[in-house]
Amino acid sequence: MKVVKSVRSLVSQMRSSLIVGTLLTVGAATGFSQADSRGKQLYVNCTICHQADGGGSALLEAPAINNLSEKYIVEQLKKFKAGIRGGHPDDITGLRMLPMAQTMVTEEDMQAVAAYVASLPSSSKEPTIEGGDATKGQAAYAVCIACHQPNGIGNDLLNSPSLIHQYDWYQLAQLKKFKSGIRGADPRDITGAQMRPMTMTLVDEQAMKDVVAYIQTLSQ
Amino acid sequence: MLEKLLPAASTYAKDIDGLFDLITYLVGFWFILAMGVFFYLVFRYRRKPSEKAQYITGETHKQKLAIEVPHYLILLCDIAILVLTFIVWHHVKIEKPPAEDEVRIVGQQWAWTFYHSGADGLLGTDDDIAKVNELHVKKDTVYHYKLESRDVMHSFSVPVFRLKQDTIPGRIIEGWFEPNKTGEWDIQCAEMCGVAHGIMAARIFIETEEEHAAWIAANSPNSADTSMIAKNETVLETQAQEDRSNG
Repeated sequence: MKVVKSVRSLVSQMRSSLIVGTLLTVGAATGFSQADSRGKQLYVNCTICHQADGGGSALLEAPAINNLSEKYIVEQLKKFKAGIRGGHPDDITGLRMLPMAQTMVTEEDMQAVAAYVASLPSSSKEPTIEGGDATKGQAAYAVCIACHQPNGIGNDLLNSPSLIHQYDWYQLAQLKKFKSGIRGADPRDITGAQMRPMTMTLVDEQAMKDVVAYIQTLSQ
Repeated sequence: MLEKLLPAASTYAKDIDGLFDLITYLVGFWFILAMGVFFYLVFRYRRKPSEKAQYITGETHKQKLAIEVPHYLILLCDIAILVLTFIVWHHVKIEKPPAEDEVRIVGQQWAWTFYHSGADGLLGTDDDIAKVNELHVKKDTVYHYKLESRDVMHSFSVPVFRLKQDTIPGRIIEGWFEPNKTGEWDIQCAEMCGVAHGIMAARIFIETEEEHAAWIAANSPNSADTSMIAKNETVLETQAQEDRSNG
């Protein structure tokens, strides 16, 4: 009888400790999800290309986004969602953003994810493009200063993004897209339309490489 | 049967639906019959204290008939399904009626781009209309499509057409369809192609002749809206050239 009693008490102890353990786990999990921001949760969809630190991936042709301001990210998400940016049939990488931006159902979602991304620290990127002359690029950059600032940090009041801590291959690709009308040619893209005449001042690919080489020096 | 759940909007949809119905009825008939016989036997010959169970080896001709008869009948059903499948396959995938219009379909992660032939009905000319996630076709017109992929495998699926065709990078896959019902329907990707595969959706607009002509007129590269963009681009280029020559 004693043995049966002790087994019963052991089972009862185990059961109560299991219940307490479960409650503690649920409590901890709930506390964690509450502390965790909605922006961080939504950003999980983006990490496949833009990585958990927002640093982007050259392999997937995804730019760094942790250098961008909250306002600029929201504006770009709205543009991607409406097909104003990345809606051109030849914009292969831009089109990838169309369904991803659609996962942000409301403007609050966009604000939340943008706030989270903007809170991530950014860092300078290793140069990948050869043959750019930063000295010549500095002269070409003169026309960019009005919006992107002499130090390339951009200006939210003018809706211009930061250019520092961004990959050179991405910047070159975007200049080409602006120039060819793959980006910024949609009649609804007001800020894109501002960039198009600016890229026309860059005569050829060499001029684009030069200005990108100069922009890279601003990140140092 | 299937049309009650999903409208059919292509000429060959009824052939595929017919095949679907035939397979469902035949398989359903044999399934219900087999289950019925099974449960009847389980109940009829359940354990009784007065009877001793027999061990039947199934070696006599009479005993074998219980298996052989349904076996051959099911084989006959299989042959009927196979013959009809080959006929429908030949009609849908092999035999192409002459084209009245054509469209180029390009899949990529995660969007469909449709190159419409424009007013001249020919692809690769200046009046082609490129649209992302929007396919506009004319009712009662035979279309030949050229299917391509820019990156990985996709599958061009139009449920109302009962059409599903894989795209393979590096290949141009040709096929046809003839829409026979106006309306706006879904296009989807039916091959896992990456993180946003599930939302790689587009729309097909099946229009009457008048509606389609009006759409072409409003969207062809020579129309007022698009020529304005081209004009702006020319102005920008000219300005840039002037700026360069001035200094």
